[in-house]
Amino acid sequence: MFAALKDKSTRDSAAQLGFVGIFILLIVVFGFTARSNLEAQGMTSGFGFLERATGWGISFSLIDFSTSDTYLKAIWVGILNSLFLGVIALTLATVLGVAIGVMRVSGNKMAQLIATTYVEIFRNLPLLLQVFFWYAILTTLPRPRDFADATGPIFFTGRGVYLPGLNVTGLSVFLVFAALVVTFGLWIWLKSARKFARVSMSQKKTRARGIWITWLVLSAGLLWWGRIPDSSLVSQPFLKGLNFREGIRISPELMACIVSISIYGGAYIGEIVRAGFNAVGKGQSEAGHALGLSQFQTFVYIRLPLAIRAVLPTLINQYVWLFKSTTIGIAVGFVDFFMVISTSINQSGQTLELIAILMGGFLVINYSMAWVLNRVNDAIKLKGNQLRT
Amino acid sequence: MTNSHAVRIQNMDKYYGTFHALKGIDLSVAQGEKVVVCGPSGSGKSTLIRCINRLEEYHAGSINVFGTELDDNLDNIDEIRRETGMVFQHFNLFPHMTILENCTLAPMLVRKQSRAEAEEIAMEYLHKVKIPEQADKFPGQLSGGQQQRVAIARALCMKPKIMLFDEPTSALDPEMIAEVLDVMVKLADEGMTMICVTHEMGFARQVADRVVFMSDGEVVEQADPKTFFNAPQQERTKAFLGQILGH
Amino acid sequence: MAKTYHPPSVIEAIRADYFSTRLNSVVTVTFATFVAWAIWQLVNWGLINATFSEENKDACGHGAGGACWAVIDARWRLVLFGLYPFEEQWRSGIACVAIVITGILSCVPWFWNARRLSGLWVGGFLVFYILMRGGILGLTPVFEQNWGGLSLTIFIFATTTLLGMPLAIVFALLRRSELPWIARTMGVVIDTIRSLPLLSIMFTFAIVLPFVLPGWMIGDKLYRVIVGYALFFACYQAEIIRGGMQALSPGQEEAAKALGMGYWHRIGYIVLPQAFRNALPPTINQLVITFKETSLVVIIGFFEILASGNAAYGNADWNFAHVEVYCFVGFIYFIFVFALSRYGAHLERRMAVAQR
Repeated sequence: MFAALKDKSTRDSAAQLGFVGIFILLIVVFGFTARSNLEAQGMTSGFGFLERATGWGISFSLIDFSTSDTYLKAIWVGILNSLFLGVIALTLATVLGVAIGVMRVSGNKMAQLIATTYVEIFRNLPLLLQVFFWYAILTTLPRPRDFADATGPIFFTGRGVYLPGLNVTGLSVFLVFAALVVTFGLWIWLKSARKFARVSMSQKKTRARGIWITWLVLSAGLLWWGRIPDSSLVSQPFLKGLNFREGIRISPELMACIVSISIYGGAYIGEIVRAGFNAVGKGQSEAGHALGLSQFQTFVYIRLPLAIRAVLPTLINQYVWLFKSTTIGIAVGFVDFFMVISTSINQSGQTLELIAILMGGFLVINYSMAWVLNRVNDAIKLKGNQLRT
Repeated sequence: MTNSHAVRIQNMDKYYGTFHALKGIDLSVAQGEKVVVCGPSGSGKSTLIRCINRLEEYHAGSINVFGTELDDNLDNIDEIRRETGMVFQHFNLFPHMTILENCTLAPMLVRKQSRAEAEEIAMEYLHKVKIPEQADKFPGQLSGGQQQRVAIARALCMKPKIMLFDEPTSALDPEMIAEVLDVMVKLADEGMTMICVTHEMGFARQVADRVVFMSDGEVVEQADPKTFFNAPQQERTKAFLGQILGH
Repeated sequence: MAKTYHPPSVIEAIRADYFSTRLNSVVTVTFATFVAWAIWQLVNWGLINATFSEENKDACGHGAGGACWAVIDARWRLVLFGLYPFEEQWRSGIACVAIVITGILSCVPWFWNARRLSGLWVGGFLVFYILMRGGILGLTPVFEQNWGGLSLTIFIFATTTLLGMPLAIVFALLRRSELPWIARTMGVVIDTIRSLPLLSIMFTFAIVLPFVLPGWMIGDKLYRVIVGYALFFACYQAEIIRGGMQALSPGQEEAAKALGMGYWHRIGYIVLPQAFRNALPPTINQLVITFKETSLVVIIGFFEILASGNAAYGNADWNFAHVEVYCFVGFIYFIFVFALSRYGAHLERRMAVAQR
């Protein structure tokens, strides 16, 4: 038998079988132990509990949710909340990150100093610390009743930020915003993809205009659909008694999460953008100057597009990572996907099923996000090794 | 079974996917013989010698090295690799070790020699390739010619029965080719069995017992150097010699 | 008249850097004003009007006066050592210093050898564990539940890295195996774990694992979470090591094969040493991130430095001093993280030079 083990092909097959076998064995062992544990504790397994009413409420929800709604609906609310936080925070982080990155490569020493300080401070501190910090500051702002003689449309209070808003459902606003991100992506794709390289400028402009007009119409439609009946279009917050009425309230929990993830993400994206600019060879800008382009023109038409292409793969990784960090919502009480799952586990005891839903949910979201962004990357990337100058 | 063949390849075929890289190769190399393999690029000459020490796998036929059959048996593969030494086109010295450590690593690990033994042998071979003073330097600090000579010494420290050379001078600047060829000539004079893939026809004329010409994965012609260079038989051989010696 | 060259004077240099175009000048002036204002506010709040010692506690707080660094004077032990018994806190302090020294020594090139490095870390870790745990050498035993603050953070980080690094090497080797089933399975496992949030993995290991493991394997919650974290770290680090291996020229392994070296010899002497050198900067980055993310165990219920910071200002006496406490905790994180990333940058520069 040992002689057979000396044969390369036998050994290879045995190794592969053994390896996969170990995994299967682990899963089987886990399965059996789980089953016997559950039986011992008298709990049912299976996903039937999703039809049960939760009996608990959710403080922030884009769709209507009451205590008599099912676990399944609660999970949806959690997913929507995570996506909501993710889209807003990632967008802000990108804007901030690009600004910081540009500042760092601008050549103006003052701007570089500020940007470098920003990056060094916020990248080197844990995200959780930053969330706690901002949450502590936001909740120790003055209470609403102290704003009796304050005017002007936005109020920063300890119970949240009050802004004037439209009387529409949160879901419709979220959908408008999501549509905006999609439209923006389409516009970038149209402008930069190799596929459209042969399309004439004027045709591209018409198509771009078409895309944006579609979005406007779509948004108007969504907002109309989401209108809350029997109320005016715009609602202004005003102080009545101890609290503000009307208007939109951004809770301190949500605000803390948005602020901290944006700032933290901005620091990381700033670094990535800077690396992108550095990856563009100096020869490219030199050629631009030699042709007579101004600093600004070289920047917008040459350095920026090349830098974006250079860093898109890294940026995709960063986005996936930042989206996963929305789970810190649980630390301050923002009801994201993870918090819904963990509360559900506490309340219903269906640990294994809920963990499976949690893992599955994140895998689906992350893979989809990476897949879409990778398609964008493939469409706009340069073929060959042109970036190495 | 007495076998005076160092290497015997019989009817060997190799494929890369569907591409037939080596077609029905028949080649025997006797002990002490020096064979030079030449041919245009893509002819399969490097692939051929890399099959001998199993850096590439073959798919049909047989290869026998000093009596050991080269098959899937891991013991056989290890045995063959111990007895063959190889020198690469790009030297492949280990950059994180000194020259001496490069030479003593394999004897210590594979032949289980003690450090003192291995170092003694290593210094002996470094003397032979004429760079004993570089023993404590790192490969990055040496010139290309020096690195290749170290690579030859490193292979020799394992006391192989046959040396395989895969275009040893192709990556060298012209002024360094001579120093490496000198070492190889000396090695040949001492009776080492050698299979050498090279474009250096001067070396072939001086040292080879037999020149093998390959083209498109086949052995087209083999003869002693005098016959090969002065009276080639096949058309392809004549065309190749015309190109390579013409300038 | 011909121009003659003279080296730029200080004024000219400043003008070139800060005021070269009109836009630049505007930007410089705006930012400079902002920076000056910010620095003035910070210095005012943080130094001039601040109270530093506990006796003057009443001078600050509730909006009056400047920063209340007095809270640190009063509560630093809680932040650094958590609920560790008061008389034994010196042990906790020395244990942390031991790990820091181990870390600093790892940067000395003499130790860059698998045997010495692992010996150093195992030794340093043992010193840490014996001092913290006690029970032998005449030290009173202090169990893991009472470990807290900075020492718990360091403990989790060190254990995760010590467990995770060998695991990462194994994962990387498995993933680049030439046997397709092994490589693909490992690929799926690594990619899946990397797609999941760290918090969910820690949570799963802490809460879910007791269900699926036979009783004898369950162990203490702290160690389960550490194993989960080590697994997560190993998956990220495996990809980094694999990148280092891919940067290696294939001729290296071929030369080792041609010399007759077996698989483990090739991997141990030729492939891994060079792969690690290639992968050093991203590895340091990964270590930095791992240190920061230990803060997440707060959510699972462990009393590491963030939680002890929350507790420090969480009582009636100090509940206004959150900014000061967070600054202190942030400062501690900053020292470790900044030192590590500076070292990583230094290594990167050194290696860029060496490769020329």
